[in-house]
Amino acid sequence: MESQELFENAVRIKIVGVGGAGNNAVDRIRMDMEQLDGLTLSCVNTDLKTLSDSIVGETHLIGRNITRGLGTGGDPELGRKAAESDRETITRLVDGFELIFIVASLGGGTGAGLSPVIAEVAKQQGGLVIAFVNMPFTFEGERRFKMADSALKELREVADAVIPLPNDMLLQEEAAQDSVLNAFSKADEWITRGVKSIWAILLKSGLINVNFSTLREVFNIPGGKTLFGFGVGQGPNFIQDALDDLVLCPLLHVPDFSKVADNLLVNIVGGTDLQMSQVQEIMTFVTDKFGSRENTVLGAVIDEGKTNTVEICVLGTTNAGTMRNFTKARVAPAHRLPEPRNQVPVRAVSLREKTTAGEARKMDLVPNIQQELGFDGVDENRGFFEETGRNEHDGLDLDVPTYLRRGIRVVLN
Amino acid sequence: MNSKIIGAVEIGTSKTVVLIGEIVNEKTLNIVGMGVSSSRGVKKGEIIDFNAASDCTHAAIMAAEESASVRVDGVYLAQSGRHLETFYNDAEVTVKSSDNIVNQSDIRRLLTEAKSKQLSEDRAIIHHIRTGFVLDGEPVDDPEHMEGHKLGVGYWNIHGSVKKMSDSIHIINGFGLQVEDLIVSSLSSGKMVTTEEERKSGVLVIDIGSGSTDYVLFNNEYVTHTGVIAVGGDHITNDLSIGLRTNAKLAEMLKVKNGKATLEPKSKNDKVMLIGDLTIGDRSISRSGVCQIINARVDELFKLIRGDKNVAHYFSKRQITSVVLTGGSSQLKDIDRLGEKIFGLPVTLGENPSWVASDLAGPEFSTALGLLYFGFSYKDDNLVRREGKRSKLIKGVKQLLGF
Repeated sequence: MESQELFENAVRIKIVGVGGAGNNAVDRIRMDMEQLDGLTLSCVNTDLKTLSDSIVGETHLIGRNITRGLGTGGDPELGRKAAESDRETITRLVDGFELIFIVASLGGGTGAGLSPVIAEVAKQQGGLVIAFVNMPFTFEGERRFKMADSALKELREVADAVIPLPNDMLLQEEAAQDSVLNAFSKADEWITRGVKSIWAILLKSGLINVNFSTLREVFNIPGGKTLFGFGVGQGPNFIQDALDDLVLCPLLHVPDFSKVADNLLVNIVGGTDLQMSQVQEIMTFVTDKFGSRENTVLGAVIDEGKTNTVEICVLGTTNAGTMRNFTKARVAPAHRLPEPRNQVPVRAVSLREKTTAGEARKMDLVPNIQQELGFDGVDENRGFFEETGRNEHDGLDLDVPTYLRRGIRVVLN
Repeated sequence: MNSKIIGAVEIGTSKTVVLIGEIVNEKTLNIVGMGVSSSRGVKKGEIIDFNAASDCTHAAIMAAEESASVRVDGVYLAQSGRHLETFYNDAEVTVKSSDNIVNQSDIRRLLTEAKSKQLSEDRAIIHHIRTGFVLDGEPVDDPEHMEGHKLGVGYWNIHGSVKKMSDSIHIINGFGLQVEDLIVSSLSSGKMVTTEEERKSGVLVIDIGSGSTDYVLFNNEYVTHTGVIAVGGDHITNDLSIGLRTNAKLAEMLKVKNGKATLEPKSKNDKVMLIGDLTIGDRSISRSGVCQIINARVDELFKLIRGDKNVAHYFSKRQITSVVLTGGSSQLKDIDRLGEKIFGLPVTLGENPSWVASDLAGPEFSTALGLLYFGFSYKDDNLVRREGKRSKLIKGVKQLLGF
């Protein structure tokens, strides 16, 4: 009886894969994750054919009257129309879930058109919305790139956190002999890592769990840029290896960018041999590198199947650019690290407090100020030239490194 | 003895160079002073922080004046940056006199007509460059007293943003000096690093600086095109720092020490150290990775220039026979080899003329030397006529002819 109650009170999480690429990613998550408790997977698409190929149980065809189940043909306008015509389905899709992950490629008409609407509806229902979105390769063409860019802006206005995963960047992670096609599955891998990490920290037993209201706090101030990095270490020096790997994570490549994370969530997934002192070591390094200790939330989870392994996932939001009229009035509350709870089954910690949802609805009234920032995905790759105007030349921003735009994989070591 | 002191100022992205020249009896030019300061507040060839740029420029002028122990009378100021644009404009008039002999008034009518193109409020012409007269379809040097029906002329017009140009002029004015003329950097350095023969047979000069790349095309001794791409050595450094995930300072060091414009075959053992002293943070990096990043950037830069439709036009007509590289970033190893591959022409590294003292021989002085040279030749050249109200910025803007 008691465990039944616990389960009912646990945070309900839904992952919504939008469009072809989103569906694939969710399928992949389905295959990769053995345990799925507390996690509902769902696929939405405007294309019946792709949707029926999905291995996920819950699928929704959106905008049957608009696309007749034939997809958007890469037109985000059509995608948006489809979503607008089917708001009821979308409301049913997200209703009752506290945490909604949206997974999509903004290079597709369905992903770009549907995602902002889904995020908006989910927010209205009081959910916390975190979106992992793929940005197309520059060499896929200017039209596609612009479309993704504007969809990203729209999404940033409505979602709590948007993590853009530029394909140009992900390609760098490939082994030299791999084909470009593998880069797409690489994107899915990154999404899986991110989702899995947050899910684990909320719902799996561990050294240090994070409850949902704490997670909400991290994304509470709609920061500008998000920061997302991942590092894995294995073998005798797994802690150091993981930290090295994290530093070299392509999504954290610009040093100034990563320094400005104001609210940081650090998730550590380790084996049974992970000690508190090692967690401490990781925290010291990560807080030094990415933000201050006061605004860092730590979670650590034990995965029984692993030894000599650790995965570090860093997820943060920045207030940069929004400081002038907002943060003074509402300083982010300092998060006290929960005391380590060895061996205690900790699912109780992740109980959803009754007030959370109510609070969340109130928070929605806070005017969303993300749109003020006016930067977009590309700007994050500009480094030194960030403060100068964009260097447009035939639709390309020449300040973005050529090798990224051309999709050249750089041999690092 | 009649002498005039002129200053040449180039406010570059990485450094500001000032040279002082003394023109004696309008016959000889002596370079008497030099001042160099590292620039701040300039990115991609454009001033983004007026005060910082102003301080650096003033420091360099002061140093130059001190070394020469003279006061400068007037300044020739180089212009670069993405705001510069060009267009070609031509005009044709019917020869008026009944005997079909071209006279002065025909030429005057023609020139006025050819230069009458209106620009928007915020743009001003820097140079009108004449590309030669055409009389009844035949190119002629000086049509006066020749016989024909139709007389035509073409001009390359280089114009820039009034705001950007006046910023740099104000910096000079702020030091209590007058700007005699604005000269586009590429023209200035291009003239210095090429020979008359090269300019006759067609040469493309590419001046790769820190923040921008200026290029100029000479054909038949005329300037037939100029352009600016806001990509320079800073971009290579930034690419490296992003690609190798390190800071700009180390990336810059790596570029200078181990950088190469051509690709390196991949081999396991060829490593370079990031810092090189085995301190914390030092790590080994594959040399081929470094070269990949640089190669992609320089390759793109050259292809953008080659793809500029005005340049491509001359390439397709085989009217370019060589390419000359200059500017600080032309010191990158193997950049000429990469250039040869892309342009399919012999590529050489530019050298300043032999009359220049050895301490000014480096490519970073080409532009400033060119400025002095122009300041000098204006006085020398009888063909130079003052034009009427062409630019509201400077009263005495002169025309570049025979160039």
